[in-house]
Amino acid sequence: MGRILIVDDTMFMRTLLKNILFSGGHDIVGEAGDGAEAIAKYQELKPDLVTMDVVMPKVNGIEALKAIKGADPSARVIMCTAVGQEQMVKLAIKSGAKGYIVKPFQAPKVLEEVKSVLST
Amino acid sequence: MAKEVPIKIEHNGAWVQTKMGIAEDRIVIGDPVARDIPYKSVVDLEQKKNQVIITAGSSPEEVYRIASVEKVLQVLKKFIIMSCNAYRLNAYFMSPAIRGGVLVKDAQWEKGAIAVVKTGIWFVSQTNQVCIPLDEVASIDLTSREIQEKDLNVVKIDHLIDNEVVTSFVLCPLTTLQVLYNFLKEATQDSEPAEALDPVTSQVAMLVYSGMDSHAIENMLQISQKELDAIYEKLLAMGVAEVLCIRKEIQLTAKGVRYISDSVKSSTN
Repeated sequence: MGRILIVDDTMFMRTLLKNILFSGGHDIVGEAGDGAEAIAKYQELKPDLVTMDVVMPKVNGIEALKAIKGADPSARVIMCTAVGQEQMVKLAIKSGAKGYIVKPFQAPKVLEEVKSVLST
Repeated sequence: MAKEVPIKIEHNGAWVQTKMGIAEDRIVIGDPVARDIPYKSVVDLEQKKNQVIITAGSSPEEVYRIASVEKVLQVLKKFIIMSCNAYRLNAYFMSPAIRGGVLVKDAQWEKGAIAVVKTGIWFVSQTNQVCIPLDEVASIDLTSREIQEKDLNVVKIDHLIDNEVVTSFVLCPLTTLQVLYNFLKEATQDSEPAEALDPVTSQVAMLVYSGMDSHAIENMLQISQKELDAIYEKLLAMGVAEVLCIRKEIQLTAKGVRYISDSVKSSTN
């Protein structure tokens, strides 16, 4: 089980992910509503894993991912974006993302992906 | 002479053992059924476990249920799909590419053919046969995907397998792709929701999609059981959900999945 930081600009999505991850026995150590807050919270909380929305105000998810990986190359980040934006996958993987979730998602598959990334 | 294989076939309400010859242009079923079925006469092909159901006309007598070992059924399906009366094209496909919102890591493009029959879409390659029943299709989109460093147009099909949302992709020349897209849109238009959902109902549908139970939904949205029941009634009446167990839990139908996919796509993210 892991200590997870959830990053998404909508409270609804954060709450949904929180419920899913909590039901899988994970500890939600923090939440952030944009990329800048995510970078700061990552430094502060040092979570085992981050779920990172791609499209967000201020600093987007890809930029936040690069910043986090720049500071901590071992950071585990799963990117999360809307259906129809799958072309972001390659960019995210190139930037160091360990996994990718497409919204809308289903709880069992999200938990499988998180488990798989945490085991790396 | 076609090679004969042992099969079981439903005949006058009972399963009987017989032999079937699989020829280049037809199958020949032995006694007591004694029928020749040209592939070109086949308008529908379904698979249910170790059975295939072949429809070669409009009357009930022209529906054949055949059971056999997987190897025989695979050969039979391949011959039928490649020659039956269907919309068919050569294409590359990837199925499944996404399961429940998570990318399938070892998913690969397969070269083969696609046939759209009366009740389903068949993908066939040298090594794989995939059928998507049309009533399990949640949405069809013409979109682009990066393939070998190029952005190429693909048809994206969201469909249900055992209530898991699965995404498959089809790749072929753009003009053919447009025809396929239009054809599939028309074939699945019955599953398009007729009316828009209000924001709370939409959120409930999204949470059901994600696998949340009633208790979790009430807590997350801070609504009462009575309010949630009323929303469930609305979703059931619209045909976007079905009862999963004793009125308190529901799951989305293909129509409901289509609604959620569309609403996420049309939002800014």
